Amino acid sequence: MTMLDWTSMAGLLAGRVAIVTGASGGVGRGLARALALSGARVVVAARSPAGGQETVALIEAEGGRALFVATDVCDATAVRRTVEATVQAFGGLDIVVHNAASTLARPTPLEDIDDALWAEQAGVSLDALHHLAHAALPHLRDTGRGRLLVLSSAQGQHGGAMNPAYTALKAAQRGFVKALAREWGPYDIVVNALAPAALTDAAKAYLEADPERTREAMKSFPLGRMGDMRDDIGPAAVAMCSDLWRYVTGQTVNVDGGYYTAL
Amino acid sequence: MTTSASTHGALDGALALVVELGLPLLSGVGEGLQDAGAEVVASRDPRWAGSREDVDAALLAALGPDRSPALVVLSLLGEETTAFRPLGDLDLQAWRAGAADPIRVAMRVLAALGARMKPAGRGTILFLAPSLSLVGGAGMVALSTALEGQRGLMKSIARQWGATGVTVNWAAAAPRALSPHFDAADLAAKGDAVPIALGRRPDARTEIAALAAWLASPAGRGVTGATLMVDGGEWMVP
Repeated sequence: MTMLDWTSMAGLLAGRVAIVTGASGGVGRGLARALALSGARVVVAARSPAGGQETVALIEAEGGRALFVATDVCDATAVRRTVEATVQAFGGLDIVVHNAASTLARPTPLEDIDDALWAEQAGVSLDALHHLAHAALPHLRDTGRGRLLVLSSAQGQHGGAMNPAYTALKAAQRGFVKALAREWGPYDIVVNALAPAALTDAAKAYLEADPERTREAMKSFPLGRMGDMRDDIGPAAVAMCSDLWRYVTGQTVNVDGGYYTAL
Repeated sequence: MTTSASTHGALDGALALVVELGLPLLSGVGEGLQDAGAEVVASRDPRWAGSREDVDAALLAALGPDRSPALVVLSLLGEETTAFRPLGDLDLQAWRAGAADPIRVAMRVLAALGARMKPAGRGTILFLAPSLSLVGGAGMVALSTALEGQRGLMKSIARQWGATGVTVNWAAAAPRALSPHFDAADLAAKGDAVPIALGRRPDARTEIAALAAWLASPAGRGVTGATLMVDGGEWMVP
């Protein structure tokens, strides 16, 4: 697959300021790069300084502006400080992308989900949304073009069999988006979810280990491949955060090469 | 509304467990299941919201040590879940109690029920909830988050348990048909000239209970992981 020609999207987010959580690698890094390529100044909010700084370096190498702020999204104080640092550095906040996900979101049978596992996963998925919404609302309301984008998953729609906690929490995020879109609509804040099928390093390793498995898996994708994090998932996120999608709110958009078509 | 002839006797002798936490939504359904001939055990034991050991104790108190229900109807909401408050008014404790805890409670309840129902090789679990979680509502972020989380969990468990003969489904009913509590809510409304296709809300005793009875009958055993709208054709989602 060729790289996307970003000139068509250059300037789409000019003058906007965005926070992307979990942007020290994976999908979050791809989204942060995409937002920056479209003109947004981006705060890379993540726990890992090394990965976060690497994302900043990539953005700067692509001509963008970014700042790493060490952030544990489960910590309300840390999230508030990140929002304050963003406003101080870039003069405001227009876009919040909550992409961070628990590293413990591995297949776990229902009976084996203990309180610690639940607390970790619910913290990153739901507590973090609470913290981000509280800290960001005054700024998103002031800007008149506020955007909150939550990275969900098709598993929350079709029901992943192997990971009930992850499935439930990704479905819960869709409920959050639908209700908050109605609550924040009067402020012209658009709230949506994006369910990606991204070719992360983990997905790539899983598929490359077994070519036959890859052939079988790709039958589920009409486009025949999983998405590049910057060049396939990123442009959809940019559009959803731009004025082009200002009348779309409360929705979950599947950016997955046609993987989930059951809605 | 009168009890329909087709519902009468549909559950003759079957054991139905009705578990309710938070807002009382299921009394009419329990009566309807009795009309259908079921032996109904209704439980509002607060231990259903506790640890796994507490849940096992609540199940033991409700059904004794050995019995496995043919039908379970669940409404697992916390008090904070159904309070109509903007997200900005919820501190972290209230947010967790309203949004996350009901999902965790549902996990424990399902695990306890599964330990009995899967070995029995049969049974139907039905979550019953207001349909507003499917459309969202201002002041109801915690409710919508909790219910959609439970609905996602329902799908996951339906897939996990399908081969055991246990089915799991979700019924979304018109909120005001379940409780006058929702009269005070700022509910999303269809703006069509005919907002509810049937022109009325469903009756819990005769119509919602009938759906549960049908799911528990041989005719309904092929349905699992489904979201069934019992709102008279109001939303017609998706």
